[in-house]
Amino acid sequence: MMNDKLDLNVEQITSIIRLTPENISFEATPGGFIKAKFEGQDKGLVNIIRTFPLSDADRLLSVRLADGKQEEIGIIDAISDFDDATVQLLQKHLKLRYFRPKIQKIISVKEQFGYTYWTVETDMGLVKFASSSGSAGSVIRHKKGVIIKDSNNNRYELEDLSVLSAKELKKIDLYL
Amino acid sequence: MVERVALSKMPKKLSALLNEKGLISGEVLLYAEADMDYNCRFVHHVLILLSDGLVVGRDSKVTDELLDNKPNCNREYKWQDYSFEFFDLGRLSHPVIDEMVVGGVVRVTVDGIDEPICAFTNAYKNILKRLVEVLESLCLKKPLPTDRLFRETKVDVCPYCGKRFANPERRICRMCSDKRKIFFRLGSYFLPYKFQMLIMCLMSILTAVMSSVWPYLNGTLLYDGVLGQNRDISVLSKLPEWDFAVLLLVLALTMASCKLLQQLLGIIQGRAVARVVSNVVCTIKKKVFGSIQSLSVSFFTDKRTGGLMTRVLADASSVSDLFIDSIPQVLPNLFTFVFSFAVMFSLNWVLASTAVIAMPIAALISFKLQPILSHFNSMMHQATRDYHAKMNDNLNGARVVRAFGTEDREAERLASENDRVYDTQYSAAKFDVKFSLVSEIAKVMTALLTWGVGVCFVLAVFEPRMNYGELVTFTGYVSMLNGPANFFTAVLRKWSASMTAAQRIFEIIDAKPDVVETHTPKRPEAFRGEIKIEGLTFGYEENREVLRDINLTVNAGETLGIVGRSGAGKSTLANLITRLYDPQNGHIYLDGIDVRDMAFDEVRRSVAMVSQETYIFKGTVFDNIAYSNPDVDRKAVIEAAKAANAHDFICKLNDGYDTMVGTGGQGLSGGERQRISIARAILADPKILILDEATAAVDTETEKSIQEALERLSKGRTVLSIAHRISTLRNADKLIVIDKGRIVEYGTHDELMALDGTYCKLVKIQNEALKFRAIGE
Repeated sequence: MMNDKLDLNVEQITSIIRLTPENISFEATPGGFIKAKFEGQDKGLVNIIRTFPLSDADRLLSVRLADGKQEEIGIIDAISDFDDATVQLLQKHLKLRYFRPKIQKIISVKEQFGYTYWTVETDMGLVKFASSSGSAGSVIRHKKGVIIKDSNNNRYELEDLSVLSAKELKKIDLYL
Repeated sequence: MVERVALSKMPKKLSALLNEKGLISGEVLLYAEADMDYNCRFVHHVLILLSDGLVVGRDSKVTDELLDNKPNCNREYKWQDYSFEFFDLGRLSHPVIDEMVVGGVVRVTVDGIDEPICAFTNAYKNILKRLVEVLESLCLKKPLPTDRLFRETKVDVCPYCGKRFANPERRICRMCSDKRKIFFRLGSYFLPYKFQMLIMCLMSILTAVMSSVWPYLNGTLLYDGVLGQNRDISVLSKLPEWDFAVLLLVLALTMASCKLLQQLLGIIQGRAVARVVSNVVCTIKKKVFGSIQSLSVSFFTDKRTGGLMTRVLADASSVSDLFIDSIPQVLPNLFTFVFSFAVMFSLNWVLASTAVIAMPIAALISFKLQPILSHFNSMMHQATRDYHAKMNDNLNGARVVRAFGTEDREAERLASENDRVYDTQYSAAKFDVKFSLVSEIAKVMTALLTWGVGVCFVLAVFEPRMNYGELVTFTGYVSMLNGPANFFTAVLRKWSASMTAAQRIFEIIDAKPDVVETHTPKRPEAFRGEIKIEGLTFGYEENREVLRDINLTVNAGETLGIVGRSGAGKSTLANLITRLYDPQNGHIYLDGIDVRDMAFDEVRRSVAMVSQETYIFKGTVFDNIAYSNPDVDRKAVIEAAKAANAHDFICKLNDGYDTMVGTGGQGLSGGERQRISIARAILADPKILILDEATAAVDTETEKSIQEALERLSKGRTVLSIAHRISTLRNADKLIVIDKGRIVEYGTHDELMALDGTYCKLVKIQNEALKFRAIGE
């Protein structure tokens, strides 16, 4: 890490390159990926990474090359700085990167031998998954709800616990 | 546990369909599935990698169901609904997996355009990674990585019920396993105590008989016979013509003896129980710890075994609870139950039916409400655990809290956890009261009903007339039924919990170590210390190689410096040489013998490691230095300590070499601990010495002292030295630089400096850093 940056001074290493519609543009490739042009230079395929995926999802997005090194081009202050078409393109990419179906209804929750088996209705259909019971990392508190990680590390979001029915809350109370 | 599978295996129906469509032209190399498309929808995909191309099949429908725990598990697919596309190998290039937070995308350049072939969730990651690796080899016309086609793959879901294995290393489904087998296996632990177990059963039965007689003595005999002065009762009619006062005395003495005998039986039983329980628990623990000692390091680093030991101890108690508290009580409880029933029905069948009718209702209420009560109790325990964890955090980090002045915020955080404890305790207590109330009401209602109907019999409202004493006897037997009823409900739950606990214990006892000694271990006659590594590839997890294709020779007596960034694989190399792990591919030879063929004790004796993480065992300083050979001469220990620059500080300790160190003993500084571990290594006199960041955690002066000790230790040995401070490696005979698991540079210090590569840059950076330090100092 250090050796790659030997020739850079501290300021260069620590300064943030702000990406704005003036210095960067994005476009979809025919295959549907995102290509970026930074200060007139074609950068090829890029990935968009949220620096605060839970607490501030649409601000401070890191734009990185999609090659092996994942070098950072710069940081977008707010996604809303860009035009609607770009926002739509970036959001589509982010949706896949931070894929987590939203749980709309809890059908059943059952604990057996160290795993909690969930059957839930999500915005993407019925999902059955198993999460590790009692594991501190399997539930992340997120705003008014929670994100549940299953044993494969897939994620499911319960956006707002307060909208759940008393019956549903009772079902999941212990597992959260 | 892993299963060896041929990855090219695909569903027969699909294979037939593709043949019919003429899509399969070349050899099928690999078959994989995926569950999403690039538009974030659940769409089932099949990918068939052929020797001349790739067939991708997509379900035309968006699935409304994701069965995360059962990927590709007995699912019927309608292949006619799939659209298939064949990509000729010539059109494909640059296959990659774009990893996402969850799963990823298979991206392949088709006719020069990047195309998303499919997306997937994490369950499909491993197989798709392999497919991409093989496809890349095909595109680049490189030899196929055959290990990727026929490699062992982890199966962590039960094929019968689809539930996850609690421990994926052992493919035992707790749901489908035969609990009877476990029960009998457990029973074998109790066999040596047959005599004690027999006594326990006998005592339990005698106690049950005593208890069953009690209502008769207390009711019919006392009230109707003696107090009612009625000699018609069969027992009394057989006695001599005593006065009723004498009869009362005899009855009182009989009742007292009965109680006394019960206590006596209890004491004998208690002694037998104590002997059996402590012995069985002790045997189980010995077996478990014995088994653990023989297991490989990977067992301990597996995160699932984190809280294992504490659970095992609880499990051993849970298992013996069933055998001690429950099994011997089955017969007495059954006896009490049947006897009470028989007596009740013989006394008055109408009254008996009245008493029994409410029992199933009471049992049902208890059965239904008990799990909810357990649920509340678990919540309470969870909240208490969280509270303790937070408090622990706060106390351990007290200095940081004070330094940042966040006392109030910490107090608030603790208060909110405390409130949660209060809430859960209050909810649990509220429900407990409700539960007790309902179950007591059920019991009282039964008793009242029995008494009510019984009084009608006593008052001759119903026929046949009953005496008051008979009614007391009867109600005595009714209340005796509660015991067995509660017992059998509890024993069912205990059985299940106990068998699960036993299974966890057997999982450890039966666990097979990954690293095992060969049947015919080799021992070199005179060990010189030459190390040769050929084509070594290793990863702690599947598909995550830490070291790749390492080739290296270190001659006996040479010093090799290993340089690299954190996580480059330096310590892993050391772990492989000491055979804490076995490589997936390649060989390590020590003096020409594959380390896998070498006797364990020979490897341990010949190779020693001094690492940054020193461990001081509970015991004296002498015990710690003489760890590898407790019978060693004291002078040799002092010599080793002197060579390790440890002698002086040991002499300053009040009890010298007899000072107790380790948990609860004298505190030692990091440098002191390090020097003790060097002395330990010196005493072991290994031919190969591995120094893994041995001086990383100490100050400059201590480092100098340790460095001196290490130099003395290195003489006449083969040394592999891993260090962040490159200055300490300057005198090494050879240096290697490891980057991303590969050796990227090899040579002497001067050769590598001349190369102006990674090593040279690292040296320059450290020199710059030293200048800063000099200014700071």
